[in-house]
Amino acid sequence: MDWDFFVQQLVNGLTLGSVYALIALGYTMVYGILKLLNFAHGEVYMMGAFAGFGVLSLFGGALGVTINVVVLIGLMLAVAMIGTGFLGVAIERFAYRPLRNAPRIAPLISALGVSFFLQSSALLLFGADFRSYETYEYIDLASGIHWGPLNISVVRIAVILTAFALMFGLTLLVARTRLGKAMRATAFDREAAAMQGIDVDRVIVATFFIGSALAGAAGVMVGLVFYKVYHLMGFLAGLKGFTAAVVGGIGSIPGAMLGGLLIGLSEAFITGYVSSTFQDVFVFSILIVLLLVRPSGLLGKADIQKV
Amino acid sequence: MSRILELKGISKAFGGLQVIDGLDLHVDEGEIVSVIGPNGAGKTTLFNLITGVYQPDRGDILLEGESLLGLLPHKITQRGVARTFQTLRLFLNMTVKENVMAAAYGRTRAGVVRSILRTPGMRREEREISALAEEKLAFFGQRLMGYRWNQPAYSLSYANRRRLEIARATATGPRVLLLDEPAAGMNPKETYEITELIAQLRTEGGYTILVIEHDMHVVEGISDRVVALDHGIKIAEGTFEAVATDPRVVEAYLGTKAAATK
Amino acid sequence: MSEVEGTPEGPKIGVDEWVARSEERSGVRGGRLAPLYARAERLPWWALLAAAVGVSALVPFISSSDYVIRVAVNTVLFALLALGLNVVVGWAGLLDLGFVAFYGFGAYLYALLSSSQFDLHFPALLSVSIVIVSSALLGLLLGLPSRRLVGDYLAIVTLFFAQIYVVLATNADRITLPWNDGPTDISGGPNGITDIDPISILGYEFGSTRSYLWLSLGVFAVVVVALQFINHSRTGRAWRALREDSLAAELMSMPVNRLKLLAFMFGAATAGLTGTIFASVQLGVFPQNFDLPLLITVYAMVILGGAGSIPGVVIGAITINVSLELLREPANARLLFYVAIGLGLVTLVRPWRKLAAICVGLVAFGIVAYQLAEWLRPAWVSGTIEGGRFAGLLDGWVIHPVDSTHLGNAGFILLIVAVLALTELRGIWRSILLVPTLYLAAFVWENRLVVEPSVTRILLLGALLVVLMSWRPQGLLGTSRVEIV
Repeated sequence: MDWDFFVQQLVNGLTLGSVYALIALGYTMVYGILKLLNFAHGEVYMMGAFAGFGVLSLFGGALGVTINVVVLIGLMLAVAMIGTGFLGVAIERFAYRPLRNAPRIAPLISALGVSFFLQSSALLLFGADFRSYETYEYIDLASGIHWGPLNISVVRIAVILTAFALMFGLTLLVARTRLGKAMRATAFDREAAAMQGIDVDRVIVATFFIGSALAGAAGVMVGLVFYKVYHLMGFLAGLKGFTAAVVGGIGSIPGAMLGGLLIGLSEAFITGYVSSTFQDVFVFSILIVLLLVRPSGLLGKADIQKV
Repeated sequence: MSRILELKGISKAFGGLQVIDGLDLHVDEGEIVSVIGPNGAGKTTLFNLITGVYQPDRGDILLEGESLLGLLPHKITQRGVARTFQTLRLFLNMTVKENVMAAAYGRTRAGVVRSILRTPGMRREEREISALAEEKLAFFGQRLMGYRWNQPAYSLSYANRRRLEIARATATGPRVLLLDEPAAGMNPKETYEITELIAQLRTEGGYTILVIEHDMHVVEGISDRVVALDHGIKIAEGTFEAVATDPRVVEAYLGTKAAATK
Repeated sequence: MSEVEGTPEGPKIGVDEWVARSEERSGVRGGRLAPLYARAERLPWWALLAAAVGVSALVPFISSSDYVIRVAVNTVLFALLALGLNVVVGWAGLLDLGFVAFYGFGAYLYALLSSSQFDLHFPALLSVSIVIVSSALLGLLLGLPSRRLVGDYLAIVTLFFAQIYVVLATNADRITLPWNDGPTDISGGPNGITDIDPISILGYEFGSTRSYLWLSLGVFAVVVVALQFINHSRTGRAWRALREDSLAAELMSMPVNRLKLLAFMFGAATAGLTGTIFASVQLGVFPQNFDLPLLITVYAMVILGGAGSIPGVVIGAITINVSLELLREPANARLLFYVAIGLGLVTLVRPWRKLAAICVGLVAFGIVAYQLAEWLRPAWVSGTIEGGRFAGLLDGWVIHPVDSTHLGNAGFILLIVAVLALTELRGIWRSILLVPTLYLAAFVWENRLVVEPSVTRILLLGALLVVLMSWRPQGLLGTSRVEIV
């Protein structure tokens, strides 16, 4: 057994997994509250990656200001999260809200439209070329943990830690705050929540904002670790994020985190040990099998059909 | 009279909530049996268990001596149990006549290939179910006739939607008809009509009927036998007069105090 | 239980008078085109079909341009695809996002069976039959999850399938097979498969594009007849019933699972069949032919025309494919854009005085903006405007900067914001904002969108889907559906 290789895949898997988990949270929160599959979520994540890229190139190029790297990354995350947060709110307001009482298939088709609209907007605005996060100008990539076979770059450590911090923050928000309570109530029964005086529209807007902001953060993190950002990056990542949400049990927040890590780890190990061309095929096959065996996911509750 | 539908020791729980608990119930051929009980007594769950939407945790359900357990809902309907819904589940964007014709699916045979080729057999079958649909709709007098055939179901009034649900259920060719609150949301005149109609369904249609109803006038008017449920348990059974005055039924509906003061 | 609101002044929904006036209301449908609709509706469906096929078959005699005939063939193929998707989405109400994979599967399978790839040269009829049967079986396989999964999950599983299909087609050129030494090339990888045999039936070989037009029209006619018959059979009724309420359908004796699979198989077989014609017209298949842009194109066709209506989806296919073709060339694209804006204004803005005011305002706004830009910075108006017809008319009105990309991009973002703001505003403010928004649209169109037709088409299709879903989900010809929850 080549331990070095194994550890490398493990770290890869954890990085990917925390990114997928962040994306999955957005899916799961929106699904929990609106029972809506927000197809455009992957594109929100892509926009987040571009927002981070914008900040980076602004400071690296146009402004030419030297700035502490931690502050810079913090700024990138902040801009990306706020930007995508508002993007998510706008998507909800204009593409989903008019359809709240429409047949179930209608918002899905609308989401498909939004997704393609955002993707080609990015193509129009940023071009078809890969853009690269040139973080090596700021960070010494060799630094990090070196301990026997263990070899983890500082960026990855930072990304994994940030992701876990965000997830922890979200868990606290949902468990402890008034907004979190309102979100849980709305997810449980929207009409009943409205009758209890909860402003359901505001809860939905907040959910979209938070979920999209998490996806935006994930976009920046992917850029930091893997450098490349491009207009098609949201599609597959979005699919995998959704897979993670479903694997964990859609609607369940810890489920999304667990699912994200599982999907990230399996992708990394399949890429490393089985096939680097067909890893997506394997990941999706896992999902399909799991859906057939346990449709409610690992931590989800089976729905009781109301008649 | 033979037993057409028989439930033996049926139990069903959702999570920790025991909705139906060891229920025995039987309906004889040609009988009209009413199920009454306060909200949450498990009446609609009972219908869902009979029609196969839910599987019971324990017990057995027999139709003419044969078990219905494990059958998919459409198979149970094809065996001869059809129902209406308390919350009205019509095919809203299909026409009134199509709603009824669609329900004849189980009694027709023409497959896709025969439909594409429009074989004589398929066309005969189409004419038959068209006639069947008109006949079932004609059961309600002029209310669902004429131009209404080609109107979408959503254009119907509430009472007419209830009637269409009954017409649709009868088009499946049932022997036992389960009616879930047929008089809900109707005004007194319509309620009176529906009482007459349920009686006619037995005399003219030949159906055995199990009905859930809250309106005591309807229950009194139609029932051969009344079964009262509370918390999933049968608390009384017998004629309307016997059940309606049973202290346990009064208690279930009005609470302990009211029963004590009576 | 919530009742649907009736129109405020009219009788309430469900009341006898409301029902009786239903005809009247549907007559209003289509606005100024109502008489046309009414006349077309009175014709029997087969007469419409015969007319449509007959007129299309004459295309080669009207235009000798191979390009035009080629577009006609593509349009018929798209119409076939839309018909197939309509079975799954429009009738059975299942969101199948793997639909184009069946199209690709059909095309590739035909290519494998009738080309030099494996030196199999099966007779066309045999290949086509194999393709139809295997597509249907694949549809059955993919449909199996639909037994357990409803709505959203099904959508995602089918989308995965589409993705897997593209990955396989792109990468199956170096597969290690146990019985073969070294990697085997199955799909030709990114280069696809070329040298596909043309279809030949009973000794007649379809060589020219025009013969393919007639072939595809023949197939189209057969498919329409078959679908029309199915729609008015117990299977078609059952599909629509399960779309309306699948639990009620199951309880009304319809085997919902089997019907869903059947719908999937039907859609898949239609797509596979269309794929064979596509492969043989193009004489080659490539992975990118069957990627996601095609999916959204077919969806837009079905939704625009009206999901559930056979003439609707065919008209949707014609409208969208012809528009997309026009977009390829700047001069045509320009014409299309201004005609579409004009039509939109004429149908949506009433009364005509307001319309006239907006038009005058728009022209004036442009001239002022142009002069202002010229005065501020001459570089903003000295860029080149794409040539072609009407370009001269726009000079002096549309700002066309040298750096059209960056300013155009900024304008694009601003335009999105302006359009979103328009949907929020009411009354006079809406009309006032409409003028700069339209001007901005023209600016973005001339500087950005006309230059990048391949981006523009997806952009517009995406926007079209969103707008249609909120504004007219029933499409052009569909009847509006009511859902009571």
